[in-house]
Amino acid sequence: MASRHLKDGSETDFESDKRETKEDEGGSETDSDASSYSYSDSDYSDDLEPEWLDDVQKNGELFYLELSEGEEEALLAQVSANHSAATNHVRFSEKEAEILTDNGKKQAASGSKSEAKLKKFTKILRRKRRPSQRKNADGKDAASSQRPTSILKNQAGQRPGVVVQQQRLKDVCVYLNPKRLGSALPPSPERGGLLEALLGVVHRPGGNAGKRAGKLIIHGLVPHSPASKCAEILIGDALVAVDDVDVTTENIERVLSCIPGPTQVRLTLETVCPVGMGPDSRAKAAPAVSQLVRLLWGEDTVELQMSIAHVPHIVMYLSLKLDSDSPQDEQEILYQYPASEAAVQLKSVRGIFLTLCDMLENVTGGQIVSSSLWLQQQLVHVGYWKEGSNLLVIAVPANRVPLLYLQTVIEGVVRTLKVMYGSLDSCFCEEENAPRLDHFFCLFFQQLIQPSRLIDSSRPPTPDISGSLFLDGLPAVRWLTLPADIKVDVDTVLSDFESSDFGDMSEDFYGMRRLYVILGSCLFYKHYCLLPLASEQRVGQLVVWREVFPQRRTQNNTTAHPGYCEPLGRHFLLIVGLRHFMQCVLLEAGGCASPALGSTGPDCVYVDQVKATLLQLESLDAAIEERLSAPPTPCLSCADWFLPAGGRDRQDGIGSSPILNRLTAAIKPPSPSGIGRSLFGEAGSASLRGRRPSPQRSLSDSGSEGHTDGTPSFTSGLSPHATPDTLRRTPSSGTRRDSLGSGGSDGSLGSAGFFKIPRLKHPNPFYLGSLRKSLTDRETEEMHNVLKLTAGAENTLFHYVLMETVQGIFIAPTHREMNHLSGSIHPQLIQNFYHCCLSIRQAFQQSLPSRDRKGTERPQSSRGLGPVKEHGVLFQCKPENWTDQKKPAPTMTYWVIGRMLLEPVPQEFYVCFHDSVAEVPVEMAFRLSFGLAV
Amino acid sequence: MLQAETLQLLCLTASSGVPLFSRGSSKQLPFSIIGSLNGVHMFGAGHGAQLASCETDQESRVVWGVFQDSLMLIAVSGGGGSAISELQLHRLLENVWNCMVLVLGQDELANVRNVERLKRELRSCYRLIDMLLERINDDQGFMGDLTQCSDCLLPSHSSLLQEALDSFAQAAESEFGCLLVHGRVAQATEKWWSRLTSQEVVVLSVLVHSLSGASSCDYPVFLPQGSPTVAIRLLSFQLLPGVHVCILCGPKPSLCKAQNELIGRFWSTFAENLRSCLEQAERSTLPPSVNLRWDIQALLLINRESRRAVTVCPRVRSGAPSQATPLLSSARRLELLRLFYTFAVTRYFTSQETSVSSASTTSEDFSQGFTHVPVQCYLVTDECKCYALQNSQHQLFVLMDLSVPTFALRNVATQTLSAITAATGF
Repeated sequence: MASRHLKDGSETDFESDKRETKEDEGGSETDSDASSYSYSDSDYSDDLEPEWLDDVQKNGELFYLELSEGEEEALLAQVSANHSAATNHVRFSEKEAEILTDNGKKQAASGSKSEAKLKKFTKILRRKRRPSQRKNADGKDAASSQRPTSILKNQAGQRPGVVVQQQRLKDVCVYLNPKRLGSALPPSPERGGLLEALLGVVHRPGGNAGKRAGKLIIHGLVPHSPASKCAEILIGDALVAVDDVDVTTENIERVLSCIPGPTQVRLTLETVCPVGMGPDSRAKAAPAVSQLVRLLWGEDTVELQMSIAHVPHIVMYLSLKLDSDSPQDEQEILYQYPASEAAVQLKSVRGIFLTLCDMLENVTGGQIVSSSLWLQQQLVHVGYWKEGSNLLVIAVPANRVPLLYLQTVIEGVVRTLKVMYGSLDSCFCEEENAPRLDHFFCLFFQQLIQPSRLIDSSRPPTPDISGSLFLDGLPAVRWLTLPADIKVDVDTVLSDFESSDFGDMSEDFYGMRRLYVILGSCLFYKHYCLLPLASEQRVGQLVVWREVFPQRRTQNNTTAHPGYCEPLGRHFLLIVGLRHFMQCVLLEAGGCASPALGSTGPDCVYVDQVKATLLQLESLDAAIEERLSAPPTPCLSCADWFLPAGGRDRQDGIGSSPILNRLTAAIKPPSPSGIGRSLFGEAGSASLRGRRPSPQRSLSDSGSEGHTDGTPSFTSGLSPHATPDTLRRTPSSGTRRDSLGSGGSDGSLGSAGFFKIPRLKHPNPFYLGSLRKSLTDRETEEMHNVLKLTAGAENTLFHYVLMETVQGIFIAPTHREMNHLSGSIHPQLIQNFYHCCLSIRQAFQQSLPSRDRKGTERPQSSRGLGPVKEHGVLFQCKPENWTDQKKPAPTMTYWVIGRMLLEPVPQEFYVCFHDSVAEVPVEMAFRLSFGLAV
Repeated sequence: MLQAETLQLLCLTASSGVPLFSRGSSKQLPFSIIGSLNGVHMFGAGHGAQLASCETDQESRVVWGVFQDSLMLIAVSGGGGSAISELQLHRLLENVWNCMVLVLGQDELANVRNVERLKRELRSCYRLIDMLLERINDDQGFMGDLTQCSDCLLPSHSSLLQEALDSFAQAAESEFGCLLVHGRVAQATEKWWSRLTSQEVVVLSVLVHSLSGASSCDYPVFLPQGSPTVAIRLLSFQLLPGVHVCILCGPKPSLCKAQNELIGRFWSTFAENLRSCLEQAERSTLPPSVNLRWDIQALLLINRESRRAVTVCPRVRSGAPSQATPLLSSARRLELLRLFYTFAVTRYFTSQETSVSSASTTSEDFSQGFTHVPVQCYLVTDECKCYALQNSQHQLFVLMDLSVPTFALRNVATQTLSAITAATGF
């Protein structure tokens, strides 16, 4: 129970952290804050001061991200390729020189050149992330003094070989928001006025621009401003018109001051541009920095938001109690996001939401949960959550979030916000949370409306939203099953850490009371951990710290354990990432540790200890990597193999029957490295564990490990056939052993390489003689070790998801496994699978003992269809663009089945397999959960 | 406060919000509530947002529907044990509107000049509307209001009856004739199926059923889609208690002539057949030649082309082994069948009929998210196992005993489908 909540907490919270980093990044970075934070007087002084120290916020929170060297360089190269950002680079470089000299001593102390380099990049990035306001505050900073020569030099240097230049006009659209300026200090003309403050364009009258009097030459760009973000405004360009109004140095301030609110304006620029290189060609080359990294740095959100501005969506926090004394406009809106046109329309009908909430309670005695309305021929679903006298309203378009899954989405948001802020009121009603909530909801809606864009902006929006909707909605994180030896190692290292025995670094050593009790920790590797970041890029260093409010603490469940009451403490989440590893630690202050007062920042000792743990674990990197590249267990098939080759598939030479493929797979055995090809262990990804302070919990831990240990014997017990010719043999009663499944071949082979094989040697599927000979001993051995879920001779499994609700984990094929199964039908099938899972899961949910919003159980009545245990849907698909006119298109049918198990542990199992074999899903679920040692 | 498991139907003028009537089993809602239910919709419409429905955590629902920009219908359901699905409420609103058009004509409803007069005239629809409200939870096995397919009875001598009906309709100079047994269509002319929309057929059978007390009647009707403004005569005659024949016709023949001349001439010879038909209707909607497996608890079979439906809910099980668990009550089985139909249709299968209301929404858009076509589905619950399958011609929804193994469900369902279609040509 406890560990579940723990995980719930950390999971949702991390999700949120991922989504709301903006303010952490850009917020006030005053050094006084950092220094006001006190270290536990541990012996820290002789060490370097940690890089992240400057980023600690006033309230103690921290989000610090630094990429590893390789990525940094790529990033910088990219940045300098980007002309607008190039200026920033120049400026940073100048600064950087100072920093380096400053650090000279420390550098010597550390003695490591690479570390210094790392630091340098850190500084660069940090500088880059500074918001534009800072520059204003600093007065005319680097821009005026260093600008002209260096920039121009730089520009010229960057474009060698440009001989011919020509003048041309281009239009650039930028998004401006005058409200962000803040009304307190009107931008004074000597600081560039609105041009600089609003647009981010630096123009210095006189100087070398003298010969083009009146023209607005762009001399510089303010980092992070709309102008620099759009990446198409270059230094040296001349601003000619704003929204078709001609502008000069005289009237530009007037024109800009006429922009009333957030809007998009079209700038016409006269640009000097090498012949044959239009703005278009460069725009294509531009984005390569991981979209995710940019999001984490809080860039790009305006652009993201504008890309979905036409889709009606809004979140509002409304007050149901109206203060009639001071009738102010919109006073009932406590929070609202975004401000797009469609959202404004939804905002204007907020009266509906308030009235319905009030009226339905009077008429039916129930709380409103959802309503649907038509807006501009588009159906919009509105979800409600009432807390106290306030109402949270979230509207999303129906084609993105089906009504039957809306409630899960809303509950997820509410849970996340509660873990982050304790309650909705403290979340929405405090002014300073607003910018960070903006960022949170910006990403939240992106995830719902165009999830693919979050990862990669260049990809066109795909319709596959169900997948992320389903997996995000599961109250679980992905689990990576590991071979026993690795798992033991990981467990040992984590246990050591959790014991808080830090030697001379610990508080005990100094006779102090502990600062924190470590409640639990979990380790994430690479992908799909909470933050997909670590899969794409090696993280140089990531430190996240914030206070969280685990749900267990807020729910009053003293009745469950008489005599035990939760310690009144505060909880902090610490996340440290190094390269592909990331470790989350939940800390408790108060209780048996010393209470935390005020806003507490991260403690260096704890951060360092986590880092040390991660460094210790790094030795396992190779082993885990190998595990990830091992062939999928259980084997997966690709849907396209079950359809006869037609149309363009034919030239790929893909065999027309699954048997054929299976054979080809067997001919070309997988990955050269066959060692450690453990029998189970392929699927999810986060190896995760809770701390077990009580004997009872450690029991459950050993229980789950017991499964692990039991597995090899389980599999070997099931493989009595020792001869290679089991290839064709139907497994005898109960033993589901099969030859190498068709999916088993693609371990480390690229799919391209894989598909070539059949063309080279087309084996006769009916002649097995030569084949048999070609199988070496090791392959034979492998064949028997491959776990297969489906019954029958052929592997018919397409996809699966197994969720264990108590531990809060789920297992699904890894991304790498899925990437190997390319084809035209298969991606559709996966998408369909997830969409169907939404429906299946909802059917399970509604049949569970329902809890109403306040957490109390409702009187159970035999309502609706009653408890659903199993639900399956049969789908039929035809190959697209079937070319053969004479024959009807072949069809392939497959099942998507969901099964809910309450015994021995609550599990939900979703599976997708070919129709040819009748399956008993319960058996499959058991086979999977035992086989994979959850 | 609205009681659980009750249903209220409100009708107001769309432009001014004047309440026209309110029907439902429970006490009428207070006027202020009616006012705000209407007001909240009007407010939204003024801001370009058409409110369609809403739901509470106890599955109470409110559904709005504006018809012809003149009348607004609002259905309010109390939640609780057997909550009424959104699909059902939407269909209810459409059926009620169709009934009002059927009786009063579209002109009368679309151009409201005198509200008081309209109120009086609408009283003639109360009987029909009340019948529709009752059918939401009926235990007679009528599902036409939900499926929008006419409830049918498959008689054993269908060809004989078909001939009789065809010649009777021909003699009465009509192409639309229909024979009803206990409110279910036993036989109809070919045009009845092909030319009338399914909604019209459903409300016509409800109308004839509501008129079943009279031995004969001549009733002017407007067909909601076929002729919403010009009235047509509906002649209905009682052949036996519980057996009615009706035709849609023009000015000729007169009721008197049809009653005295045609009825005797065409139907007296079939009295025996009709009587056996009645007897069969007491037992089952399927002819005795069809043998269902004992473990089938209930089924609904829909012919997608002619929009006909048969509901079977056996009273006793024949051939069951002695240790078999007793049947669920027929009311519960029908409820489960209705819920399962709603479940399957809103999520997976599409039911391709058009709707008449200006802003009608069903959750059917969920099925549009699928890249491949769902063809079958099943559910295993604590009470029974449900299986649904659809092909180009039929949709079948079966409730089976828990003793049927899950992997056998599909075979049982396909066999049942072929057994029924082979024996009856449905």
